[in-house]
Amino acid sequence: MTAPLPPVLLDGASLDLHAVVQVARLGRPVALSPAARDAMGRSAAWVDAAGRGGAPVYGVTTGFGSLARVTIAPEDRARLSLNLVRSHAAGVGPACPVPWVRAMMLLRANALAKGASGCRPLLVDTLCQMLNAGLTPVVPERGSCGSSGDLAPLAHLALVLADGGTHSRAHLEGVELDGAEAMARAGVPRVQLQAKDGLALTNGAQLTAGIAALVCHDARRLVLHAELAAAMSIEALRGATRAFHPAVHALRPYAGARATAANLRRLLRGSALVDSVPEKVQDAYSLRCTPSVLGACRDHVAFAVAQVQIELNSATDNPLILPDAGPAPEGFAQDPLNHAFSAGLFHGEPVGLSMDALKTAVAEIASLSERRLYRLTTGSLSQRLPPGLSRQDRPRLGLMLPQTTAAALVSENKALGWPASMDSIPTCEDQEDHVAMSTTAARRAARVLSNSQKVVAIELLGAAHALAMRLESDPAAPLGAGTGPALERLRARLGGLDPARPPAESIALVDALIEEGDLLMGLPALFPVGATPPEGE
Amino acid sequence: MSVLLTGGPVQVRDLHRVAAGAPVRACPHALSRMVGAEPPGGSVLARKRAWLLGQHAMDLPDEDLPRAFLIDHAAGVGEPFDPGLVRAMIAARANTLLAGRSGCRPVVVEALLAMLDLPELPAVPSQGSVGAAGDLAPMAHIARVLCQIDGPVPGLPPFSPSPKEALALINGVSVTAALAAVAVRRAERVADAAVCALAMTLEALGADAGLLDPRPLVARGHVGGVQVGARLQALLAGSRQVRAGRPPDAFSLRCAPQVLGAALDALGHVRGVVEAELGGVSDNPLVFEGPDGDDWVESGNFHGAALGLAMDHLKIALAHIATASERRTFRLTCGELTGGLPSFLVPGTGLNSGFMIAQYTAASLASEVKGLAHPASVDSIPTVQHHEDHVSMGPIAARMALEALECVADIVAIEALLAAQALDLRLAGHGPDGVGAPVPIAPEVLRLRAAVRAVVPAWWDDGVMHPCLKAAGALVRAGGLGDADPTPW
Repeated sequence: MTAPLPPVLLDGASLDLHAVVQVARLGRPVALSPAARDAMGRSAAWVDAAGRGGAPVYGVTTGFGSLARVTIAPEDRARLSLNLVRSHAAGVGPACPVPWVRAMMLLRANALAKGASGCRPLLVDTLCQMLNAGLTPVVPERGSCGSSGDLAPLAHLALVLADGGTHSRAHLEGVELDGAEAMARAGVPRVQLQAKDGLALTNGAQLTAGIAALVCHDARRLVLHAELAAAMSIEALRGATRAFHPAVHALRPYAGARATAANLRRLLRGSALVDSVPEKVQDAYSLRCTPSVLGACRDHVAFAVAQVQIELNSATDNPLILPDAGPAPEGFAQDPLNHAFSAGLFHGEPVGLSMDALKTAVAEIASLSERRLYRLTTGSLSQRLPPGLSRQDRPRLGLMLPQTTAAALVSENKALGWPASMDSIPTCEDQEDHVAMSTTAARRAARVLSNSQKVVAIELLGAAHALAMRLESDPAAPLGAGTGPALERLRARLGGLDPARPPAESIALVDALIEEGDLLMGLPALFPVGATPPEGE
Repeated sequence: MSVLLTGGPVQVRDLHRVAAGAPVRACPHALSRMVGAEPPGGSVLARKRAWLLGQHAMDLPDEDLPRAFLIDHAAGVGEPFDPGLVRAMIAARANTLLAGRSGCRPVVVEALLAMLDLPELPAVPSQGSVGAAGDLAPMAHIARVLCQIDGPVPGLPPFSPSPKEALALINGVSVTAALAAVAVRRAERVADAAVCALAMTLEALGADAGLLDPRPLVARGHVGGVQVGARLQALLAGSRQVRAGRPPDAFSLRCAPQVLGAALDALGHVRGVVEAELGGVSDNPLVFEGPDGDDWVESGNFHGAALGLAMDHLKIALAHIATASERRTFRLTCGELTGGLPSFLVPGTGLNSGFMIAQYTAASLASEVKGLAHPASVDSIPTVQHHEDHVSMGPIAARMALEALECVADIVAIEALLAAQALDLRLAGHGPDGVGAPVPIAPEVLRLRAAVRAVVPAWWDDGVMHPCLKAAGALVRAGGLGDADPTPW
C-alpha cells in the first residue's frame, strides 16, 4: 500500500495539471492554504463594508447582467445570491462525468482562494469538504455559453452547496441523492449564502477549464503513445530513419518536430528492422513526415497546456475585489474608494480557443495514425506483411475490420471538428453580446480525444501484430530500445496476440492500457510535450 | 399494435414504434418466399475473404468461416446504442432480408424477431462503421448474439448461419436506416412543436398578421411555407393580438413560415429517402429469378450514401429550426422588444433574474446544433486495401442528427416555456401602456399555454430553473405540443 497523498493546498497560484488529475480522478484531498485564507478574508471584509456604503457594486448592490441597472436593497442581498443560484441552474442534457465536475469544483475553489472575489473562506472550505467526502453534484452537460462563465453548470453545483438550494442532486458513494441529503450524509454543512456569494460561486468558466485540464493531461499522454505507435509501425514496415536525423530537424527547428524526431530515435535505437531495405530511398508521408505532423500536433497541445495552466491559477470572477489595488494608471480617473473592478475575466475565450486548437491537433494525431494502420493492413504497402495482418493458416480476417473502425473514428473527428469557439450568439438583452462557447469546445475536444485514443490503440494493436510476425520469421532480430519492451507489455496485456476474441475486446484492452499509462513504463526517457531537446539531440 | 414487416414498404412511423417497444411480426407469405441459397463459385465467405485479404487468402473449410467472419467483424467501439435503437436496427435488417433477395432461410428472420423479445438486447457499440460495405461492425455485434457464437442464448431458436446468411446479416446499412427513421420521426415531432411555440410567441409579442396571409406564401410556391402559414392561421384563429397593420416584425417572426417551411420541405425529402431505404434491399450479392433459375448479381446496395446525405440535410434543417427559435426566445427576454413585458419575463427583475439564463441555455444549444450540422458524409477514407475506396460515413451523420435533435427539442421547449410566461403576463394585463386589463388571447394559443402549464407553473419569483426546462423538454419529446402520435420519443 502506498501512503495516501497529502492534500493539495489551494492558494490560487500553484495548482498544476497533475494535481487536477489526482483530485478529479483519484480522489486526492484538498485544503485551503493559510495565506490564501487571509487574503480571502480581507477581500470579503471589503465587500461587507461596501455593502453598507452607498456606492453601487455590481452584483452586490445591483442585479445581474443587464439588470445591473437595478439597485438591490441591503435586506435583499442574501436573497439575491440565492435567487441567482436558483434561476441560473438552467442546464439540460445528460449529467457530466464525475471527474469533470470534481475538476470544476477544484478550479472554482482555487479561483476563489486567490482572494479577489470578495467571498469568505467558508465557501472554499465547503467546496474542499465536498471534494474530500467524494460528494459530486449532478451537473447537466449542456447549456453553458462559457460567458459570463459557466453559469448554469456552476449554479447546479452551488445549488447543492447552498442552504435553500432545492431540486439539486448529488452523487455520494455511487448513489444519486437529493443534494441536501447528500450533504447531510457526508457531514458537510450547507452554506447560508451572503451578498456576492452567488456570483462568486458561478462567475467563471470552470467547467470549461476543468474539462480542458483533463483533456490536456490526456492529450500529452496521447502524443507519447502516438509516437510509440509510430515507431512500432515504422519498425514493422521496415522504415528509413534518415527522416528523423537531428541535422534534418535543425533546419526547420520546431520544438515539437525536434522532440518527436528525438523520441522516435530513442524508441528505435538498436532495431535491426529499420533501415533494412537498402533499395528504399524514402517512405510514405505517414512514416516519413511523422516529425512534421506529430511535431506540429505536439506544439499545439503544448500551447493549449500552457494556456490552461494559466487558467488553473486565475481569478475569473466579476467584479474583482482588490483591496490592495494601487492607484489608477496615470491619466485615468482616480476612485480611491472603489476596489471593485468590473472586468471580463470570466470570458471563456482563452480556454475555448485553446480547446479548438487542441481538438484539431488531436484529430490530426489520429488521422496520421490511421494511415499507418492502413499501410500495415494493405498487402501491397506493408513490405510483405500479410493483408489485414491475418494468419494464413486460420480462417480469420486479422485486423482488416479494425482499420475500418479507425477510419470511422477519424471521420467522426472531422465532423466534430467545426470550431465551437468561432460561434457566438448574443445573450442577456445584448449586454453579453459576444460569448465564448468554450464549454462546447472543451466537450468536443474531450470526445475527439477519446476517439483519437482509440485510433492510436488500434494502431498499437496492428503494429504489435506486425512486429510479432516479423519476429516469427526472424526471431533473432533485435527490436528498438523502446519498441521491444512495448511489444512485450502489449503481449502480456493481451495474453498473446491472436486469441479468438473479437477485435472490439482487443481494442478496448489497449485503450485501457493507454489510459493507465503502463505502456510507457520501462521505455527510454522520452521528451514530454512542451520539452525542447538540447541542440544536437 | 404490432408492426407487420413484409419485405416491402415500411414507414418511419412504424420503425419508430418498434424502437418504442411495439411488437413486430413477419408476413407469413413473405417468410414462405424466403429460400436459402448460396451464390455460385465456391463459398461466398471464402470469396469475401479473398476480397478483403487479396490473393493471400487460402481456401478454408466452409464450416469455420461464418463464425470467424462474424467475430472478426465485431470491431465496434464506444458507448452502446440505446436498446430502442437496437430494436429498430434488428427490425430494419429483418425487413431487408424478408424481401427474399439475400438467399436467407426464413429462420434468419424468425431468429431476428425472436431477439426483439429477449429480456436484454445485444450491446451494440455506437462507433466504428463507415456505412459501406454496410454497417458491418455494429451489425456483427448483433449477429454474434443471434448466431449464439459465445454460447446458446435462451429465447433464441438454435441457428447456425450458412455462409451467405452470415454475410447477409451484416452487409447493409440497416443500422444507419434505423437511426435515420427514428431521427426523421423525432424531427417531425420537434418541427410540429416548433410551429406551436412560434404561434405562442407571435401571440405574446403581437405580430403583424402579414406572415399568416396565404397569398404571399402561395405566390412564392414553396409547399412547406404554405403549410406552416396554414397551420399558424389555424392556431391563431380569432387572435386579437396578431393583426394586420402592425409595423413589420423582425425576421425570426415575420420570416418564420419561410424558415420553418424550408425545414419542413427538407424533412419531407429526407423522409422519402429513408422510407425508400427501409422498404428496399441493402445487401450484396442479391439473387433474382433469371431465365435459367437463380441469377446472382454483385452490386453496391450496401453503400450508405443516400442516407448519409439525407441525414446531413436533416441536420441543416434542424439548425434552421433551432437558430430561429432561439432568436425568438432572445426577443421574449428583451423587455424593450416585447411591447410592455418586463425584462426576462418576471416582474421585479433585479432581485429576480427570471428567464435570463434559460435564453443562454437556448443559445448554447443552438450553437451546438450549428456545430453538429456540419456534414459527416462529405468525408470518405479509403479502407480495406483500397478496395472500399469510397465510403459513406452515413452512420456518423445519423448519430449526429439524433444528438442535434436532443438539443433542438430543448430549444423549442424553452421557447414554449418563455412564450407561456409571456402569455401569462399578458393575461395579467402587461401591455405596451403599462399594466392594465387582461389582454385577450386566442383560444388555440390558450390551449397550448395550458399544455405547458400542466407541467410547469408560471414564474413569479426566482425558483430553480432546471426542473422547468426538464419538464418542458419532456413535454415536447412526448408530443405534448402539436404532434398527436402517442408513441414516446
